[in-house]
Amino acid sequence: MKIDWKRIGIAELAALVSEKLRGEGIDSLVVGGACVSIYTHNRYESGDIDFISYAALKLLDAALSPLGFSRKRYSRHFTRDNCPFFIEFVAPPAAVGKEPVRSRSELPTKFGTFVMLTPTDCVKDRLAAFFHWNDGQALEQAVMVAQEQPVNIREIKKWSAEEGFSDKFGVFSQALKVSRGEKRQRP
Amino acid sequence: MLESLFGNATVEKVLFYLTAYGEGYPLGMARTFNVPVNGIQQQLRRLENGGIVVSRLLGNVRLYNMNPRYPFLAELNSLLAKAFAFVPEDEKARYYRERRRPRRAGKPL
Repeated sequence: MKIDWKRIGIAELAALVSEKLRGEGIDSLVVGGACVSIYTHNRYESGDIDFISYAALKLLDAALSPLGFSRKRYSRHFTRDNCPFFIEFVAPPAAVGKEPVRSRSELPTKFGTFVMLTPTDCVKDRLAAFFHWNDGQALEQAVMVAQEQPVNIREIKKWSAEEGFSDKFGVFSQALKVSRGEKRQRP
Repeated sequence: MLESLFGNATVEKVLFYLTAYGEGYPLGMARTFNVPVNGIQQQLRRLENGGIVVSRLLGNVRLYNMNPRYPFLAELNSLLAKAFAFVPEDEKARYYRERRRPRRAGKPL
């Protein structure tokens, strides 16, 4: 299948990379802002795709070079000419806060399938940035995902308490209520 | 102390520095330990790539601190705190007790 690198979508690229890695026996998980882009149908647009893989960077170099991706020495991100996104391999383990990632979602595309955080873990991942760094963008993204996708709010509340941020979960919960109210009022 | 576990002495110094002061920048750390800044930067880059520290730009300075989202942070902090307790007093006084409280601009001392 011919790939239009300039117009490739984030989910298609995630699938291409994941399939290439899978072909080399390497498992990967998409995390971070790319999950937000996908779950919000690009209401938030991420410029990169964060993967987690336990494979050594040298193996990733070899696996991704046939797709035209390369990385600079010491860095963990790969770029490709004409591709609007860059790919980063975040250091493992796959975790949301202190908790390991236990469940995953699979998304099929025309370029294959890739594995990503579930909507509930995606919200937790964004909230962790809000909890620790007061990142308003991350809060906004968590709200967007919770609005667009079915998420387990009870589980998020419990996780927030275990992370020590019950008060900030309250801020998220309030923002989500307001946002859902606004959505209902839209014509 | 933890040198053999962490792989070299510089990374141990960097982690003790961040344990003691909470945050720091490469040149400040290099001056404290009187070592070349390149070695400090290299170790900070390694720790950042591993998700153990994070950095942000403050003006022209890249400020580092422990990554609060590192899943083993509590365990690492506890190991560092225990090891730090064994650092000789004169070393603690020389490297890890620099003035950190505010100083009003223009104050002569």
